Amino acid sequence: MTRMLGRYLAGLHFRPRGREASLLLLAAAALLTGWLSLATTQAGRFSVGDPVLLVVYLLAAGTIHVLFVVTGRRTDQVLFPAVVLLGGISLLFMSRLPPTLVTQDAGPLGVLTLAPLQLVWLLLSLSVIAALAIVVRRDAWLRNYKYTWAAVGVTLLLLVFVFGEEVNGVRLMLRVGPVAGQPSELLKIILVVFLAGYLAENRPLLAGTSLRIGPLDLPPLAYLLPMLAMWGIALAVVVVQRDLGAALLFFAVFLGLLYVATQRPSFVALGLFLAVVGSVLLYTVEPTVRVRVAIWLDPFAQALGSGFQIVRGLYAFGRGGLLGTGLGAGLPSPDGTLAVPALHTDYVFAGVAEELGAAGAIALIGLYLVIAERGLRIAARGADDFRALLAAGLTLVLVLQAALIMAGDLKLVPLTGVTLPFVAYGGSSLLGSGICVGLLLALSDAGVEAPAPPSPLTRGERWRARGRGVAGRLERAVR
Amino acid sequence: MWTLRLAFLGLLYLFLAVLARSLLRDLRAAAGRTTRAAGVLVVIAAPAGAPPVGATLELETITTLGRDADNLIVLDDPFASNRHARLTFRGRVWYLEDVGSTNGTWLNGRPVQGAVAVGFGDEVAVGQTRFRLEPASRA
Repeated sequence: MTRMLGRYLAGLHFRPRGREASLLLLAAAALLTGWLSLATTQAGRFSVGDPVLLVVYLLAAGTIHVLFVVTGRRTDQVLFPAVVLLGGISLLFMSRLPPTLVTQDAGPLGVLTLAPLQLVWLLLSLSVIAALAIVVRRDAWLRNYKYTWAAVGVTLLLLVFVFGEEVNGVRLMLRVGPVAGQPSELLKIILVVFLAGYLAENRPLLAGTSLRIGPLDLPPLAYLLPMLAMWGIALAVVVVQRDLGAALLFFAVFLGLLYVATQRPSFVALGLFLAVVGSVLLYTVEPTVRVRVAIWLDPFAQALGSGFQIVRGLYAFGRGGLLGTGLGAGLPSPDGTLAVPALHTDYVFAGVAEELGAAGAIALIGLYLVIAERGLRIAARGADDFRALLAAGLTLVLVLQAALIMAGDLKLVPLTGVTLPFVAYGGSSLLGSGICVGLLLALSDAGVEAPAPPSPLTRGERWRARGRGVAGRLERAVR
Repeated sequence: MWTLRLAFLGLLYLFLAVLARSLLRDLRAAAGRTTRAAGVLVVIAAPAGAPPVGATLELETITTLGRDADNLIVLDDPFASNRHARLTFRGRVWYLEDVGSTNGTWLNGRPVQGAVAVGFGDEVAVGQTRFRLEPASRA
């Protein structure tokens, strides 16, 4: 044991990450100022309050930075600080909402309220990022088992169809013992892994032309089937789960990746056409969709009914004005009920915009833009098709999701229930986003994919080889 | 306590400004890098001596090979056609295709039909001239 540890330590080489360090310090300064502002507002005079949660969070972020330095990783230095700032803003905002909004018995930790729960999830999410960024050195386990991953994804989807619990009329939650989660958060990532593998393998074929319908050059019909299948899955998700957001996100990510892989506008045109057809179909079939569109077009017609949430959300944006009311001074006061339903999840953007104003909202959008830029840059630098497509897909998942919900809150598009990555309350979402960023960091590492030195199999490796045997048979069967 | 409020917003924007500067610096660094050829052909056998054995020929996105003087890589090889073969870089992969030569184009000893993907280290034969595709050197 000690010898293994010694050998591992000998393999470490420090590599300072100056840019990340300074950005993290700046983020910490901003968040601590935010905390002072919040505590002072709540106390009515200058006060430091009880900043334990925020300090724990910042210390965790600092520890992860040190881990990156110690392990000598050459991963991207901008993504992590941006994520830390987003999570910190989330923690500040959750600290000022009524603490009993969400409570959960966390076993040894006792009964946790909203802000501590969010802290726990944030810490788990940061740990996932760190673990993936540090441990993942090869991508074969993603690349070579795409059909296995697809099977896992479909199984998850079916499990939700059959055993899912309905919350607010949306069938999303899957409960295994005491742990409940939203598998669609995981499904997004599995989808991206599968698509990246599939598209990377079939790119030359997809880029070929053999079918012409009017102005459209289409690839061989067989390669269009996945597109139709995706479309069908997206529709099924809406009908069975009534989860508009996930369906929209799945299809948008799919189209985006297809375009990245083939650079053919005809695909996008065809996809958009399918999307329009699907939307019209759903509009006529599903009453939920009709309601969503109606309250998007005119929420004030049902201001106290189905449009209540949107109307209240718009008021919140209005109250915020340019510079906001200040943290803790907004209408969602800690003692009363929420001014906007689902202020901690779907409408967190409205809440942040109320207290930080248009300025704060734009800063938030800026942070997501930074994530987009870094992610696409990692994709552009990808060593091969699979890694480039994977990075592009993970970025799309994060950024499209943020765009969908922010635009939904602002009544720019019909509201769909996706989460704002790293800001909205919710464990599944935080973990899913953490996996995305962790994989992006791993992909950005210049040193990833060092060939493994040949060595006799250890017992653990034999077990893994046996597992691979099962997955490998599945892969061959599908092919 | 509007000072703290504004300080928080100000720091958020300071963070964004530092980020933006850092991103811009990266972009400039990337733009400053000269665009390198995505690959080179190394001549491993040329009976007529042109191009000379061992020469590295830089490839462009579309590289034509043949005896005609308007090809990017001109071969002095009686077994090569005027317009013989074409190497194209599509996305991230090199493709080799024969453009109607008399004696055919060969990849690793096999005749090429349609466009086939070429990996680094593969051997391309046009007439009696043989090349190896290699990544552009990092010099």
